[in-house]
Amino acid sequence: MTTTTPTVPHRLASTLVALVVPLVLTAATVVVALSWRDDLPDPVATHWGPDGPDGSGSLVAFVWSSALAAVLLAAGGWALAFFAGRAATTRRLGTGFSLGFAGFLSTLVLGTLALQRGVADWTAAPPVDGVVLLTLLAGLVLGALGAALTPGDAPHPTSTPVPVDAARLPLAPDERAGWVQHIRSRGVLVVAGVVLVPVLLVAVLVRTPAVVVPAVLVLALLVASMASFTVSVDARGLSVRSGLGWPRQHVPLDEVVRAEVVPVRPFPEFGGWGYRVGRGGRVGIVLRTGEGLLVERTGGRSLVVTVDDAATAAALLNTLADRARVA
Amino acid sequence: MLLRIDPTSAEPLFAQLAAQVRTSVARGDLTPGTRLPAARDLAAALDINLHTVLRAYQELRDEGLIELRRGRGAVVSEHAALDYAPLRAALTEVVRASRSLGLAPETTTALLKDALSEETTR
Repeated sequence: MTTTTPTVPHRLASTLVALVVPLVLTAATVVVALSWRDDLPDPVATHWGPDGPDGSGSLVAFVWSSALAAVLLAAGGWALAFFAGRAATTRRLGTGFSLGFAGFLSTLVLGTLALQRGVADWTAAPPVDGVVLLTLLAGLVLGALGAALTPGDAPHPTSTPVPVDAARLPLAPDERAGWVQHIRSRGVLVVAGVVLVPVLLVAVLVRTPAVVVPAVLVLALLVASMASFTVSVDARGLSVRSGLGWPRQHVPLDEVVRAEVVPVRPFPEFGGWGYRVGRGGRVGIVLRTGEGLLVERTGGRSLVVTVDDAATAAALLNTLADRARVA
Repeated sequence: MLLRIDPTSAEPLFAQLAAQVRTSVARGDLTPGTRLPAARDLAAALDINLHTVLRAYQELRDEGLIELRRGRGAVVSEHAALDYAPLRAALTEVVRASRSLGLAPETTTALLKDALSEETTR
């Protein structure tokens, strides 16, 4: 169906952001943490409960295990961006993941150790609420930075006609057509409510709201952004836009290779529901199991949206893409 | 839903839009509670003026076919679909009768239009 798969673009940038920077950051963290050795209690506090520190370990083991985790996570994110990152979304997920976790773990190690400098015994370590908040913030900010530093997709128009066997829609030469459909996932919202509300209550009950509340709010915002989308096919191409404005995806007509209807199983194909990157770096907005619109895009990219009446959307998109080729 | 317009047609654009929604409701493709595209999205999709879409929606609302709610947009109203079943059955009957008589579709629609205008002038 598709000819040779094009190579993944921006591999150098992906390697710098998702591998080099996280490795340098992690190495620096190890060096700094170990240089504090003389000021730190032995063992150091490594875990905190509601009533203060409740777990300890050796400095070396704590620092190196965190570094190892950072390296493994960075390698995973880099591999996604490097090998499957044909679409900007996929590359950004990989690089954001790598840099975000590197930032999170570095802040965690340096933050919890900085608290204990000059403390004689690990049980006397001060509370970590501030540090935890800082680590979450560092993870989010560096993750967003990694995604922002990753180059987007350059326009990649094609003049190859849409295959004749792809579905079409009868459309008079002067006729304009637009297809708009709303998709919404009550399930996503219900699950989020069932999970997040109790977490929030527990956080308030055990009096650590400073740590948990911001994290839950960020998660809630993320979930809300993925709960409803407007999908449209018209003379501008395909666009999928969240009710909150982000995330969004846009495929211009001159980048449509072909559109078709496919059955979608979110969990096996995308590892879950929402705005996802699935097998082979395919981008998905998958809110339910069942029929979906698959758009094969130039550059070996593809996009899947679970939406009702996908057959009409696919036929219209192919028809309008034909028009764009001629024009 | 799919909506199309033909700018070269003599029929005003808002009327073309309203007619398609009417047909979809009558056919049962649009069921009560279904949300129509937001006027802004539809205007952008068809590259027409927002007021053209709003005019079509207002006309449909005045006919009781849709409800316009702030924040929820245009929704096909509950009673929109109620009365169409007998009409659809009658139309099937008309189609069958005209086919068995071998009438051209134009003749049948002309008869139907005649009957409808007689009804309104009466």
